[in-house]
Amino acid sequence: MKHSSYLIIGGSAAGIACAQRIKETMPSCDVTVLTDEPHLPYFRPLITYIINRKKDVSDIAMIGRGPYTCGDLNIITDCKAKSLSIDQKTVSTNKGDFGYDKLLIATGSSPNIPEELKDIRCDGIFALRKLADAQRMSQMLINARHVVMLGGGLVNLKTAFAIIEMGIKVTMIVQSLEILSQLMEPDDTSLLKNAILNSGINVITGKKAIGVISNNNSVKAVVLDDSKEIPCDIVCIGKGVKPNVEFLDNSGIYIDKGVVVDRYTQTNIADVYSAGDIAVTFNPITGQRITTALWTNAVEMGRCAGLNMIGIKTLYAGTFGIMNATQIGGIPFVSMGCVHTKDTDYEVYTHKTDASYRKIVFNKYGTRLIGAILIADITNAGIYRYLIREGKDITKIKGLLINHCIHYGHLMQLNG
Amino acid sequence: MSNPREIFVNIKRCTGCKTCEISCAVEHSKAKNLYSAISELPTPKARLSVEWHQTAGSIPVLCRQCDDAPCMHACITGAIKRDVRGAIVTDTDKCIGCWTCVMVCPFGVIGRHLQIQKAYRCDRCPDREIPACVESCPTKALVFKTVDEYSTNKRYAFVEEMSEAIKQDV
Repeated sequence: MKHSSYLIIGGSAAGIACAQRIKETMPSCDVTVLTDEPHLPYFRPLITYIINRKKDVSDIAMIGRGPYTCGDLNIITDCKAKSLSIDQKTVSTNKGDFGYDKLLIATGSSPNIPEELKDIRCDGIFALRKLADAQRMSQMLINARHVVMLGGGLVNLKTAFAIIEMGIKVTMIVQSLEILSQLMEPDDTSLLKNAILNSGINVITGKKAIGVISNNNSVKAVVLDDSKEIPCDIVCIGKGVKPNVEFLDNSGIYIDKGVVVDRYTQTNIADVYSAGDIAVTFNPITGQRITTALWTNAVEMGRCAGLNMIGIKTLYAGTFGIMNATQIGGIPFVSMGCVHTKDTDYEVYTHKTDASYRKIVFNKYGTRLIGAILIADITNAGIYRYLIREGKDITKIKGLLINHCIHYGHLMQLNG
Repeated sequence: MSNPREIFVNIKRCTGCKTCEISCAVEHSKAKNLYSAISELPTPKARLSVEWHQTAGSIPVLCRQCDDAPCMHACITGAIKRDVRGAIVTDTDKCIGCWTCVMVCPFGVIGRHLQIQKAYRCDRCPDREIPACVESCPTKALVFKTVDEYSTNKRYAFVEEMSEAIKQDV
């Protein structure tokens, strides 16, 4: 059995951020990272660039890039955790047992596959999550003419844009009334919707795929709930993700959808920590327990876990489930905090022009900023995020926030 | 422990002339002179800004080069790193314009270059001994010193101020 002082299961954002944190604080200690993927750690959000071949595998490698400069991590690829024994402090994998002094569970999440599509076994159905999926898809796209995307979330939208740029027809089936329903309300999406229509992506809302017709192991068509058939050669499922907790069954680790951790990122078991998509953390605005599937959250939480694992007690500040910045069809947008305001008593201000949109959400007393959507002009989005997160009384700068003319100078004066 | 020099801002000295903005943009141009920089594409950008506050007056706002830089950790492409000088820099080639850094910077000092869809930020002028903004500031509102030097100067200034006050009392 191999033994390490710090064992990390999962070699993506949370795992590597944690390893980096441990190594930069204590360079001489031994850190082992287990990843079930065949590739060394990479920037997962960049796999859409693999699909349309704008980047290759070496371009998206994590180690040596950005803050991930710690040298001698022991990273074991193709190594899948099967079970955890908290008494013996070992993790069993397909490559043998690994012992630990401190353990981080950062196995992330896997795509949700709708029940009705679960049993279909044929090439050409993708749920894009891993680099290997993207490589396989990239290969199949060479001969593809029409791709149907199920789900109108961010991952699917980014993928859709990557594919349409290759000159391949894309149809997006969205079950809810509007795209990006997790990140904004229907009224907030009009600018982005236009950008999507202008790009040539065909969006069908309010419909659900109930099956896939295949022939000789290849996709022929997607069947919708109104029994309409859409001929296509590739189906891409983007219906969110669920935490990879299966290997923790009967381990004694407390699980409620994901691995529940305290405010110091520790699980209910001493010396076992968790971070990233698999961890259940809390929303600082509402106090509710949440899981998130965001790169930036995973890194932040992983770094916090790293400090706690080496004995530097560090409080994790929690996170909002919604904290996205990206660009869709040339339009940048940011969505943060509480932005679903229908049937709430929040104080909401929206401002719409032909080229930009913003929605600023305050609590019902109008004293705290709790959410913001900025579309097109995202200047100083970080200040909004800071104020949401800190829960500061913003009464004195409220007008500046609503009119989007806040700058750091105002914060300096506010903070005194 | 390295003790790099930082850009400090003495708000009281700032007159809002924005010379720092111009010299920053020129320093980050290809031509490195104002007359050519004006017509250059992509348009050279200032990486700091002088903002106006109704009671405090003009306030230069620039990258603080955070110890635990949120932008660097949030970047989803590894484009942001700390270089050998200790300055946080953005690698334009790696930047994909996702604006995650813009979303997490609590100072709001990361700009978006819309012509090239890339983020830009203060890089502490890697080709210069003293950053262009500091060198050009006509009122010395911007200074480039180590934390120790700056705080020592602050203490001296305070002592001088006090002794002046005492003299006047006597």
